[in-house]
Amino acid sequence: MSSISIAQFHKVFFEESLEGLDAMESALLALDDGGDAELVHSIFRAAHSIKGGSATFGFPDMAALTHEAESLLDQVRDGRRAIDKSIIELMLRTVDCLRGMFDRAQSGQPLADADSENLKQQLAAAVGHNTPAAAAKIAAKPAASSGWIIHFRPHAGMLAGGNDPLRLLRELAALGQLVVEAQLDRVPTLDALDPSECHLGWRIELTGAVSQDAIKTVFEWVEDECDLTIEPLVVAAPPPAPAVEAVAAPAAGAGGAAGTARNAAASSNDAGSVRVAIDKIDGLIDLVGELVITQAMLDQFREDFDASRLALLQHGLAQLARHTRSLQESVMGIRMLPIGSVFNRFPRLVRDLSQKLGKQVKLDLVGEHTELDKTVLEKIGDPLVHLVRNAIDHGLEMPDKRRAAGKNEVGTLRLEAFHRGGSIVVEISDDGAGLNREAIVAKALQKGLIKSGEGLSDEAVGELIFQPGFSTAAVTTDLSGRGVGMDVVRRNVVDLGGNVAIKSRAGQGTTFTITLPLTLAIIDGLRAAVGGECYIVPLVSIVESVQLPADAVRSVTGGGELFRFRGEYLPIVRLHQQFGCADARQQIEEGLVIVVEADGTQIGLFVDELVGQQQAVVKSLEANYRRVDGISGATILADGSVALIVDVAGLIRLQSRRKAA
Amino acid sequence: MAKILAVDDSASMRGMVAFTLRSAGYEVSEAENGQMALDTASSSKFDLVLADVNMPVMDGISMVRELRTRAEYKGVPILMLTTESNTDKKMEGKAAGATGWLVKPFDPEQLLATVKRVLG
Amino acid sequence: MGAKSKSETRVSMPADCRMADVGELHTQLKSALGGSQIVLDGTTVDRVDTAALQLLVVFQHEARKRERQVQWAGVSAPLYDAASQLGLAEALALPAKKPA
Repeated sequence: MSSISIAQFHKVFFEESLEGLDAMESALLALDDGGDAELVHSIFRAAHSIKGGSATFGFPDMAALTHEAESLLDQVRDGRRAIDKSIIELMLRTVDCLRGMFDRAQSGQPLADADSENLKQQLAAAVGHNTPAAAAKIAAKPAASSGWIIHFRPHAGMLAGGNDPLRLLRELAALGQLVVEAQLDRVPTLDALDPSECHLGWRIELTGAVSQDAIKTVFEWVEDECDLTIEPLVVAAPPPAPAVEAVAAPAAGAGGAAGTARNAAASSNDAGSVRVAIDKIDGLIDLVGELVITQAMLDQFREDFDASRLALLQHGLAQLARHTRSLQESVMGIRMLPIGSVFNRFPRLVRDLSQKLGKQVKLDLVGEHTELDKTVLEKIGDPLVHLVRNAIDHGLEMPDKRRAAGKNEVGTLRLEAFHRGGSIVVEISDDGAGLNREAIVAKALQKGLIKSGEGLSDEAVGELIFQPGFSTAAVTTDLSGRGVGMDVVRRNVVDLGGNVAIKSRAGQGTTFTITLPLTLAIIDGLRAAVGGECYIVPLVSIVESVQLPADAVRSVTGGGELFRFRGEYLPIVRLHQQFGCADARQQIEEGLVIVVEADGTQIGLFVDELVGQQQAVVKSLEANYRRVDGISGATILADGSVALIVDVAGLIRLQSRRKAA
Repeated sequence: MAKILAVDDSASMRGMVAFTLRSAGYEVSEAENGQMALDTASSSKFDLVLADVNMPVMDGISMVRELRTRAEYKGVPILMLTTESNTDKKMEGKAAGATGWLVKPFDPEQLLATVKRVLG
Repeated sequence: MGAKSKSETRVSMPADCRMADVGELHTQLKSALGGSQIVLDGTTVDRVDTAALQLLVVFQHEARKRERQVQWAGVSAPLYDAASQLGLAEALALPAKKPA
């Protein structure tokens, strides 16, 4: 049974251990910057959990390595050893090594390799014992006797600590024949008695082939809480064969479990899981309870309903709607995880990169607790890594250059996450040199992306680096020159339903702003009719909807249409043209223009009319059909028909491409 | 059936403990740290508490100390889940009022044997 | 709780008769010593620990000292077993025979 029941917790163990390693790493890096003792505790805690877990879940190699690391940390924690660079370095290597072990564990490969063995030796050497930790304990030969006399007098506080002599005597009774004599000489008066204190003592005769160790085991927990003597009843020669002794053999049981467990973990690797805080689950259970009550309330109307109770029914339905909505939010909340888990990998990255490049970088992380949908979180890591690499490689200058520019030699790189409306915003900003306008324009001209650099706004120049095939590196380094361009970063973010925008000021720095949806699964939208079809426009993108007179629209050369909105001319995208809908209204004054915004750009979407607001459960169009420009997904309406969800950012990009062409 | 409170910040450990005990028919509640355990122990009375030592927010030892000040937890068995290397933690736990300990690593059989031993 | 007839005082032990819950029993036993005849009812005792049994032992001591008469109206099997295991059956003046 143990192998089956243990294996199912491997996945959770892997996940939490990897999180623990992340925490260990960031604490080590903070310690490197001169952190406090609490950091050592948290590092120790992480190592300790991994050690305990790996031993329990059948990964002895991992447990052995962590054991050495823990011993070293213990010395630091106790103040027996001062923390220094070499220990931090050793610990960082341990973190990396353990990550590798977890990788191998997940794919069912042997955990230990030459590196891990080597590291273990080094840790052991640092701790000060080169002999293997599991030095053979020479078990004391159990003294044996045909029986024992035990004098047992608990200290007053033993009972309150949960050790009941009744239990201890029952355990002794399981070993052999007992004769128990209680000693009542020290009991107080009834008035003076505190029932939680023990004033009794016992003389116990235990007969049978019982080892002294077996008796000591019974009293193991109370050694310090009682007066105890164990004497042989009759001295006898030791029996020829060693007495049966229960030796705990966890290694054998757990080791056997490892094989099956690994298979199980490997086969379910892709399923993915979310760790959920208990209070979130409690909240859900409460809500379901509310729902059940409401349902029971509404159920009454089935039996017995007349018009006089209409108000009550309406009240019940409103309550049902409210609970359903809260339940939906709570269920969505389960998928939400703090972005800190992604941010945590950056201190190490920044440290390594800046050392390699000879730059000095201070990393500020803000808003680590901001929660994101798990899917978004998993996919946002790579784009962020790319942007951070870029910022250090191209954005921040070398110390001498910074000094020459009158700046602090230490550059600042700031990662910040926060909520804005229905979105999550992640900003990556540096106080470096800003975009090199000349280099970008020159490159764009060379690549034929633009015809002339004149009159291009800073924004437009910034946009250029997101164009496919554009490489920002004036000098390609091994850091950024990896064939992944900013176009891929944008593409990844857009695939998540988000957007990337850039703002740069010469000499002052660059800020990338990533806007992400709170969740991918559900959006709030307005339902718009176009011909016989229905489109959902995400509410977050909508600025306003306006009805325009025919003369408010100007045609421009090249076939585009513009209208004036709050002092600016915005292009109009006719959805019926974009998506080829038949029987749609053609005259501007007969329909509606919805002003939408993405990436700081606004356009007008021309539709027949707005039908209403609704929540749409997003279904992937790609998964069920194929990718369509201007459409981010589909949803199923209450009547069972399908509505497409408009990809506002995509439409804006299409529009600007059209304009540029 | 006896009610047991399992306290561990490690979800895998807690999961294993809770699963094993539930499979054996015990009623198990879970808590992620000492503070949450104290809250849970206020709303419901447990026959046994199993607690990890090293936990964020509130460690197991502070939790035991606090729990023992409550009249309804006098004499209730509280076991620390600890490791062999932590001999002084065992003693510290005992001094705070713990009943005993269960040494990590343990497998489900060892866990059940210890729990049965304590609960009778 | 104790129903009185003449000077007979009856003390019923709770089903869960363990340390955390014996405060009430302690109070009842103390006041029971005011009467000359005391009846202990342990029929419903399901769980009992050393703390509770020690309380009864101290009570019996006190009662004997003050020459009160103490009788058992009933003793449950768990109560009997626990007292026997701890070697307290005699001090508690339990009936010699184990209840069915």
